Amino acid sequence: MTEDYQDLIELSEFYILSQRYEEAIKILKRAEKIKKIEPRLYYNLGIAYEAMNEKGDARDSFRLALKLDPDFKSAQEHLDRLIEE
Amino acid sequence: MKQFAVIGLGRFGSSIARALSEKNFEVLAIDKDESLVKDMEDVVSQAVVLDATDEKSLRELGIKEFDTVIVSMGESVEASIMITLTLKELGVKQVIVKAKSALHSKILRKVGADRITIPEREMAEKLAQSLASPKIFDFIEVSDTHGIVEMVVPKKLVNKTLADLKLRDKYKVSVIAIRRKVPFSKPDGSTDFREEVIIGPGGTDETIPGDVLILVGRNEDIDKIRKL
Repeated sequence: MTEDYQDLIELSEFYILSQRYEEAIKILKRAEKIKKIEPRLYYNLGIAYEAMNEKGDARDSFRLALKLDPDFKSAQEHLDRLIEE
Repeated sequence: MKQFAVIGLGRFGSSIARALSEKNFEVLAIDKDESLVKDMEDVVSQAVVLDATDEKSLRELGIKEFDTVIVSMGESVEASIMITLTLKELGVKQVIVKAKSALHSKILRKVGADRITIPEREMAEKLAQSLASPKIFDFIEVSDTHGIVEMVVPKKLVNKTLADLKLRDKYKVSVIAIRRKVPFSKPDGSTDFREEVIIGPGGTDETIPGDVLILVGRNEDIDKIRKL
């Protein structure tokens, strides 16, 4: 059965809200294999990494989100904060 | 309300004057460069153009009425020494001086500076510390042997209550606070988080991935936890 990309994104958000960040990252990596060009995927990945204090991976993820959508305000705010720390 | 004067409005001086003003303190900003003073006019309570190496001008300004005077003449070693000496002679209670080097700092101490800061060195030490131990965000030395440290909770200690961790029994280290990112859903459906600080957490508080523990204890004991 083909996994639905949108379902995976929503599931990752459920995991983030439940503070189960490692599971969120696993789900997002699965979603990445289906569709790579989605800023929300990388934004969620950035959020999960940042919540776990994996700052390097968080920065890379927010940068990817911004590459796909340069006007992604939340991603820019998170990236700015991570760089300034 | 405490009153501060800042002498020298370069990068460090202007930043500290701005930061104190934002904390609602009365700040007098002084520099002999008119353009630097003009930039601070709308930021601080009072900004004046004055050559602070001139003792008479400082006395007339009533500088000794200020609780703390911060001298930030990093580029001019001679001027910062002269000004520090004058301020102490005039009776200023606390004089904090920005130094350029260890030698500069030694002379400032001799002429009566109450506190000396070498911001570049302090920043460099902090940066080196964070590069050496990426999971340690901050370290405050309490004594030669004890410190307070901000540390990302090691994986082995995640998803356990503080009572289960028994850090005080096993390592003689106490958790004084936990900084945590609390996720929430934004109106547009995306997720974000805000920071929450749990002060004096209890035995039933549970650690979650990414928590930053603020620990107090002996440096070598804290180091044992860091290596877990």
